[in-house]
Amino acid sequence: MSTRRIGWATVFLAVPLIAYVAAVVGPGLYSFYYSLTDWNAVGGTATFIGLKHYRDMAGDEHFWLALKNTAIWTAVAVVVPTVVGLALALGLAQVQRMQRLIKSLFFLPLALSLVVVGQVWFWIFRPEDGLLNLVLGHVGLGSWQHSWLSDPSVAFWSVLVAWCWQQVALAMVVFLAGLTGVQQELVEACKVDGANARQRLWHVIIPALRPAFAVVVSLSMINALKSFDIVYVMTEGGPFRKTETLALLVYRTAFKTYDFGYASAVSVVLFLITLVTIGLFFAWTNREDHQNA
Amino acid sequence: MIHESTRRWSRVAGFAALAVFAPLALAGCGSGGGGADGKTVSMAHYFSDALGAKAFKSITTLCTQQTGRTIKNSPIQHEAFKDSILVQLAGGNPPDVYSYWAGAKTQYLVDQKRMAPLDDFWAKNDLDKSIPQSLSKASAEYNGQKYLLPFDYHYVGVFYNPKVMAKAGVTTMPKTWDELMAAAAKLKAAGITPFALGSKNQWPAQFWFDYLLLRTAGPDYRQKLMAGQAKYTDPQVKTAFSMWKELFDKGYFNKSPNGIDWPDAADMVSKGQAAMTLNGTWVTGYWDDNKVPAVQGYDMFPFPEVTPGVPQAALGPVDGWALSTAAPNKAAADDLLKCLSGPEAQRDMALAQGALAPNKNADLTSQNEVMHKAAKEVQTASTFVFNYDLATPPEMSEPGLNMIQKFVDDPSKLDGDLQEAQSAADGAFKKN
Repeated sequence: MSTRRIGWATVFLAVPLIAYVAAVVGPGLYSFYYSLTDWNAVGGTATFIGLKHYRDMAGDEHFWLALKNTAIWTAVAVVVPTVVGLALALGLAQVQRMQRLIKSLFFLPLALSLVVVGQVWFWIFRPEDGLLNLVLGHVGLGSWQHSWLSDPSVAFWSVLVAWCWQQVALAMVVFLAGLTGVQQELVEACKVDGANARQRLWHVIIPALRPAFAVVVSLSMINALKSFDIVYVMTEGGPFRKTETLALLVYRTAFKTYDFGYASAVSVVLFLITLVTIGLFFAWTNREDHQNA
Repeated sequence: MIHESTRRWSRVAGFAALAVFAPLALAGCGSGGGGADGKTVSMAHYFSDALGAKAFKSITTLCTQQTGRTIKNSPIQHEAFKDSILVQLAGGNPPDVYSYWAGAKTQYLVDQKRMAPLDDFWAKNDLDKSIPQSLSKASAEYNGQKYLLPFDYHYVGVFYNPKVMAKAGVTTMPKTWDELMAAAAKLKAAGITPFALGSKNQWPAQFWFDYLLLRTAGPDYRQKLMAGQAKYTDPQVKTAFSMWKELFDKGYFNKSPNGIDWPDAADMVSKGQAAMTLNGTWVTGYWDDNKVPAVQGYDMFPFPEVTPGVPQAALGPVDGWALSTAAPNKAAADDLLKCLSGPEAQRDMALAQGALAPNKNADLTSQNEVMHKAAKEVQTASTFVFNYDLATPPEMSEPGLNMIQKFVDDPSKLDGDLQEAQSAADGAFKKN
């Protein structure tokens, strides 16, 4: 690249780079600095206390519960939207009549904000007059009725179901787009060679969808690791913090108990977990790409 | 290869950083300050619902006329206000005047030097003549100085459906704990849930603990507990919770209180599914808005006496106004505060919100009889105290409310819950 081109590239990159540094890198570094202090934000002073917050975290049961919830959430996020979204996309690709209408219906959750999704599912899960309990009662499954969002044994899973409902739509859209890129000649050739539907799916379609898988899994992981809004709307982390994720722990610690230093430390840990998780995933997909090249 | 690897890792780091820090960065954004043009004064508050909007439509007009200033009115949703005001204060860009909850929350901001003293303003406007000393002492004074201008307050009592009570044969309202238990037994026998509770958002459950502790151990002991000088494992605390547990054991509460909110509990009472709910006078605003007639549709009695001889404290929150230490235009802010302390503004607020007015000259004769009854209870009470989440510091109220919600979910684990609350208190009060 010529010096002149590099110069222009630098000019064009400067604006997004400055915005990125100001909005992401700067606050990130500040967060790390404040994680080493007892900063409460409102008072204005921040005394350096070294790694105390990180040591406290090791003995904080709420941190470990939030970490466990975030880990489960991420694991579910990788599996459920991917599998269900793929199945729906493959099914919809076969639909011949009213395809646009049916696709639109499945896309619908994606058009809603997570706050709206949370509120809708909050009503579905209400204990006395919620849709789910009413339906269960009508079909003779009254014994399955629960207080879905206040029973600590099911509340976390209830929130996760609501989140997956929207995430599946996202995965489906990406897979549908990916399916348009699968060479039909290749699929037909396999058919002629005697490959059955399962073999065509496993050996031709799924490998061709590799980029779509990478997008779906990485987006699901990121969305899972930062899951906050839907939990806040549906349970606020309750009952008694049983549905709290790391992102919600950061919020609660900062804004409810004014311990911004500790909240910064948790956000740094969340950043590192996100970095390592996504890094490992990209390293794996990169290795697979090289092996298949 | 190095380039590819570097690019990949910077992309990974970018993804991760965006996921985690972008929301924190955005949290730093906030607007405040009215400006130093000498004419504009900014006012932020949490009276953002329909009732608050109704009140502030007239209050803003009134104060604009009275002060001759341009008022920048910024209502913020109640829960969001708790966060946004901290962000604005931390960012050094707060509104000139902001609403706040009297008690430990105000104490915290006073200690952090985010509220300016109002002693001169108080004296200049002779507020001792219009605001009862008991109320100003409890809600306005911190560290020996006045920092909060009381604007409205609420009383927590037992609100009930008179028709449902009569249907179950309860015609005289309970004055003692035994009478309350007898009434609950009658209601239960008639197939009516005696008490409705909606504690999804935790705080509505606190009033049961507040009153049972106040009525058995007394206000002085409770104040010690709120200040970290008594323990959650003390027999006094256990007695209060055990009495509450008895109500759960007898099936006197609705199913799954943690699954519904306080308006749901209020609906249960107005629809006759439950007989009583322990809540604040704001519930009258909710019922009035839903066309439930006062006295015929709902009424109120004070939480009964439990241990004879223990002072009968009244419980509730006080909303007030604070002057920011960073207010660029203190003269304009003083003018606005003067208007907000006046009988007209406090009348408009109380009438719209279903609240009581600290200014004794506010004309509340048009309020319904239930509100008059509530006002009388406060006047005759031995003392006025704040509810739990305003009486104890935020570092403790958060785990404390959590413990109360846990108890509501499974009262049989009371001992473990109290131990947990005490270990939270050990940490919270060590910091202070």
